[in-house]
Amino acid sequence: MRITQICVGCGHCKVFCPVNAIETCGTSRINENCIECGKCKGYCAIGAITEEP
Amino acid sequence: MKVAIIGGGLGGLLAGAALSKDHDVRVFERLDMYGGRFTNLPYKGFQLTTGALHMIPHGNTGPLANLLRQVGADVNIVKCKPDGCIMKKDNTQISFYSFRELLSPGAQAKVPLIMARMLIQRKGTVADIVGNDPEWIPITDSCCGWALSTLSRDTPASEASGIIKHTIGGGPGKYNIPGVPMGGCKAVVDSLANVIAANGGHIELDSKVDSVLVDDGKAKGVTVNGEKVEADIVISDIGHRLTSELYDAGQMNPKYTAVLQKVRPSAGIKICLAAEEPLVGHGSVLFTPYARRVNGINEVTHIDPSLAPEGMHLTMSHQTMQTTDVQKEIKLGLQDLKNMFPGKKYSVLLVQSYRDDWPVNRIASGFDMGNLTPVKGLYIVGDGAKGKGYIEVEGVAAGVSTLLGTLKANS
Repeated sequence: MRITQICVGCGHCKVFCPVNAIETCGTSRINENCIECGKCKGYCAIGAITEEP
Repeated sequence: MKVAIIGGGLGGLLAGAALSKDHDVRVFERLDMYGGRFTNLPYKGFQLTTGALHMIPHGNTGPLANLLRQVGADVNIVKCKPDGCIMKKDNTQISFYSFRELLSPGAQAKVPLIMARMLIQRKGTVADIVGNDPEWIPITDSCCGWALSTLSRDTPASEASGIIKHTIGGGPGKYNIPGVPMGGCKAVVDSLANVIAANGGHIELDSKVDSVLVDDGKAKGVTVNGEKVEADIVISDIGHRLTSELYDAGQMNPKYTAVLQKVRPSAGIKICLAAEEPLVGHGSVLFTPYARRVNGINEVTHIDPSLAPEGMHLTMSHQTMQTTDVQKEIKLGLQDLKNMFPGKKYSVLLVQSYRDDWPVNRIASGFDMGNLTPVKGLYIVGDGAKGKGYIEVEGVAAGVSTLLGTLKANS
């Protein structure tokens, strides 16, 4: 799971992440806690999250 | 009539609720939730939001409340008390109506002239109205920033005069002061979703509209997740620019294209705090003209305590994005909050930025492009098609009301 450069930092992904794997400050970043559940992608406001490496 | 609505944000849901009474309405929402930038985000026991700050600028008397009543949406909007406050340089608060106290005698002498200009001036910006006076600019920046997420120098004078006429300029009872929808933003969109369902309409989540079908210059439907859906009219709640990317560029006309290229979204930052003790101390807006970045703060849990865990407060600040360096802007916003609430017990829940395709407003206030597009039967609602002189969601509602009038006239 990766957040692309179009991220605006709205924080949806952080709120819906069940394992506290997202850090948000201006834009968001996925850290090593990620379990690839895909919730962040489903709730991303602008489609900035991809499963591609 | 078959109506396809692109986007289940506030504008799309308002249009859907109004039209579903007499028409076959389908709302297509790309995300797993409806509400767009006007719904709740449950987080650590708090009801944060996707955008708005759990406030309706004109409370239970404004365009949004009126349209909610018109469509039969049941929302309890509680008036904020007091009307509004301003934080002084020493961090004490005064009533918004006492703003003269912030000014030197010389600047106070300009109040009648500036207020008159605010009501009638059409040309230039709000900064021009106050003559770029360094005593006035922090006050007008705070108001423009909170209400529109623009600075005084970027806010057209005509927009300010419209807003003032709708509020204090209209006299008592014209439109009210802000109110809080009990249950937060989600109470509003849930109520609209209920109306749509009760009328036989449908909101379809995880449904991405790929294109608008156009035949001979007229909208004939949409494709959703690759599937064709016929419609007599198409209403889009995703703004003019993103909608224009859904149909053949050959449908565009030069004038529309030129305006599209010129308009810009307004950007902002919201900082959500979990407060163990009241920071603002009341349920209304606290304008913060002397902060470096934060324009205003609210603490709506004084009105609806259910938006935070028991004994806690949800405090939210808003600031206009003044530069493109988002991290720097956030840092300055956080520092403002430290300076304004020294020694208070709070923690930062979430910092949210709004810009680009998830902005404060898809088109900065004062530059809205209206409901019409170059394609017949394709209309825009939402914060890129607001009514002139209306703040935030009041503008969304006013824009939807204008569209409903247009559709009625056309029928």
